Amino acid sequence: MDFQAYNKILICKSNMKNVAVGDVVIGYEFQIKYPSYRGAFLSCIEDLKFFVDDEEIPAGKISFKLNGKDFLLSELKECFKEYWFVRTPATVFVRQDGGIPSGEHKLRVYMKHRVPYTGYFGQYLVLDSDVTETKIAE
Amino acid sequence: MSDIKLGISLYSFSTEYIHEKLDLEGILKKARDMGYRGVEIVAAQMVPQYPYPTDEWLAEFKALLAKYELEPVCWSAYIDMGIRSDRDLTEEEIIQFTVNDLIYAKKAGFPLVRTQHAITPKIFRAMIPYCKELGVKLTIEMHHPHHPAVPVWKEYFEIMKNEGKGWLGFVPDFSIFQTMPHKLYLDQAISFGCREDKLAQIVEIHKNGGDYSLVENGDFNEIEKHTAEEMFAKFSAPARIEQLKDVMDCAFYIHGKFYYLDNDDHDVCIPFEELVAEIKRLGYKGYIASEYEGHHFDETIDSEEQLKHFVALMTKQIEK
Repeated sequence: MDFQAYNKILICKSNMKNVAVGDVVIGYEFQIKYPSYRGAFLSCIEDLKFFVDDEEIPAGKISFKLNGKDFLLSELKECFKEYWFVRTPATVFVRQDGGIPSGEHKLRVYMKHRVPYTGYFGQYLVLDSDVTETKIAE
Repeated sequence: MSDIKLGISLYSFSTEYIHEKLDLEGILKKARDMGYRGVEIVAAQMVPQYPYPTDEWLAEFKALLAKYELEPVCWSAYIDMGIRSDRDLTEEEIIQFTVNDLIYAKKAGFPLVRTQHAITPKIFRAMIPYCKELGVKLTIEMHHPHHPAVPVWKEYFEIMKNEGKGWLGFVPDFSIFQTMPHKLYLDQAISFGCREDKLAQIVEIHKNGGDYSLVENGDFNEIEKHTAEEMFAKFSAPARIEQLKDVMDCAFYIHGKFYYLDNDDHDVCIPFEELVAEIKRLGYKGYIASEYEGHHFDETIDSEEQLKHFVALMTKQIEK
């Protein structure tokens, strides 16, 4: 099946990091890349979910950071002028008082995305990229 | 010296590029070291600010091409009609994207843009004045699952042979001649849950005409059925080599697509020997791009090694 090997780049190798504002730890973040051979507009993402240690993170706690901007997950479908270059990691920020405990965590990322040039027979190819990796929180 | 030159689509190095083992300069250097001159870039892949690259990036890119003595041959574009969630792009929007690609191709020094068959005959025709004004040719890739007998191509060829002559052309991609699944496809199917003996049976059924009812009613699991369905649709090889002769005058460029080669002489999936012989016989002058595409299936394969097999195989045929 075409495209499947690209899922290997979805979760970036970098560690999870706690995020502090002054002396207050307000959450944590990690990085993902667009799982394809080419870039795409954010509007091609039809669904995006994150699970840490088997628990789904509520969408309301997440900011998707790319190109110097912060997006709510619910805004992505409207971003048809926001280009995600295939080598640029996006940062996923999760609001969580005190951050995430250091050590190993299981991270699962699920992205449903439309290949925008495949609709010529009336239906687009929509890919499921579903990747789980063990990450270290610093 | 043959009229046919082997070039390279930088997309062949997708694995190394997206896994950040090679950056754009690394790929250009590699292409030069392998002896290539003519290059194709998939703009939506390797241009960081696509679709509106900055002048700084364009200047850097042109300097790199000069540094490694590479010739810009093809700027590859898409008809991304599904960008928006609420609807397909309108004609006006597709024209805007396509003109944008023509402009940036020219800025980057490329004489030719490759687009996709979803452009429609109406928009294709509407591009003629832009092509003439900018001095950039526009081509449509004929890629699997399309082939010369798909009705819209009759219209495209008429436009290419008449009002678009010299400016509008096509790029046959060798994927349209693929007769059977390649090794990486089969290996991947096994990794997804196909049993080896069952997969071999499916390949045999495909060779004998691809009667899906034999799979549907046979002892096959869901992933095997899915694989069979996809395989029979995908590798049905509807293009015949003899169909090239009527349209070769419209070919400005050729995509030497391949998926996996384990030797320098022959591929069981794509009939390279017959293809090159026919392309030569028809008097084609220009580039055939080396286009390795196995990276869709397996990121552990070394792209350079694949390209070396391809160059060896194709050089023998071109110089024959």
